[in-house]
Amino acid sequence: MRRSLIIILAVAALLVFGFIYYALDPSQSGVFPRCTFLTLTGYKCPGCGSQRAIHALMHGDIAGAFRFNALLLISIPWITLCLYAEAQRTRNPRLYARLNSPLLIWLFLVMVLLWWLLRNIFNW
Amino acid sequence: MQYWINHNGVQSGPVDLDAMKEMNLTSRAYVWREGLGDWVKITQMPELQGYYEMISDPAAPQQQPAAEQQPANSQATMGQPYQPQPAQPQYAQPQPASTEPCPPTNLVWAIISTVLCCIPTGIVAIIYALKVSNKYREGDIEGAKRASEVGAWWCIATIILGIIVQPFMSMLPAMMASMGN
Repeated sequence: MRRSLIIILAVAALLVFGFIYYALDPSQSGVFPRCTFLTLTGYKCPGCGSQRAIHALMHGDIAGAFRFNALLLISIPWITLCLYAEAQRTRNPRLYARLNSPLLIWLFLVMVLLWWLLRNIFNW
Repeated sequence: MQYWINHNGVQSGPVDLDAMKEMNLTSRAYVWREGLGDWVKITQMPELQGYYEMISDPAAPQQQPAAEQQPANSQATMGQPYQPQPAQPQYAQPQPASTEPCPPTNLVWAIISTVLCCIPTGIVAIIYALKVSNKYREGDIEGAKRASEVGAWWCIATIILGIIVQPFMSMLPAMMASMGN
């Protein structure tokens, strides 16, 4: 009962946010929050551009999404797979263990840090 | 026919078939007798077919003590003519054979909070996910659980900062400006 309520709330929130990010363009509209890290330090964080990337993705502009935040685009299949494994954790602990192996987490960590560094050097 | 038994790393024998059935063995034991090249799982012995599958294993897998007992036992049985070691000792597998599942690494939430919340503390959560995975591989379940808990708090902190503090922070300049007017 509690579980289904959480799922309903999550789906509702997803629909509301989905509609906002579809209808309004984060690069034009002022209602979207700005990155605190960028405001404070002047450097981009690994997540900067995600809002614009989501807007571009919802309008089918994959190349645009890649330009705004390449990490987001790369993460989407990874997140989907991990969420599936999370839901199947008790039924399929092997898939969970495989996706959460030290090697794969290392790979993601190095990817995030490199992305963070390079996007500030080359202004991606 | 005489049988040698390796049960949780403890060797015993020789005993005959009826004496072995009297022993308090579980399906995890390995058996050797003349005519076998190596130790065989007790559930795979043709003459014991179906006998041990019915017996559930009450004892929790005690990996560490079994590993320690192994060398002591093989020394004690040096006088025996042929004492092969178990073909697949359970504690030597790369993945822990313990039935305890891996505690949550929170990796998905760490990734989501790093990519979507625009707060670099999500990276700390990824590092804790790595810690959980590493400690679980080493067999340190307690350490993995602790790292899992700390990592979960980093995820929560990042998400709260991202979706509550960040919009507030970005409204701050506008609010200050309107107050100045």
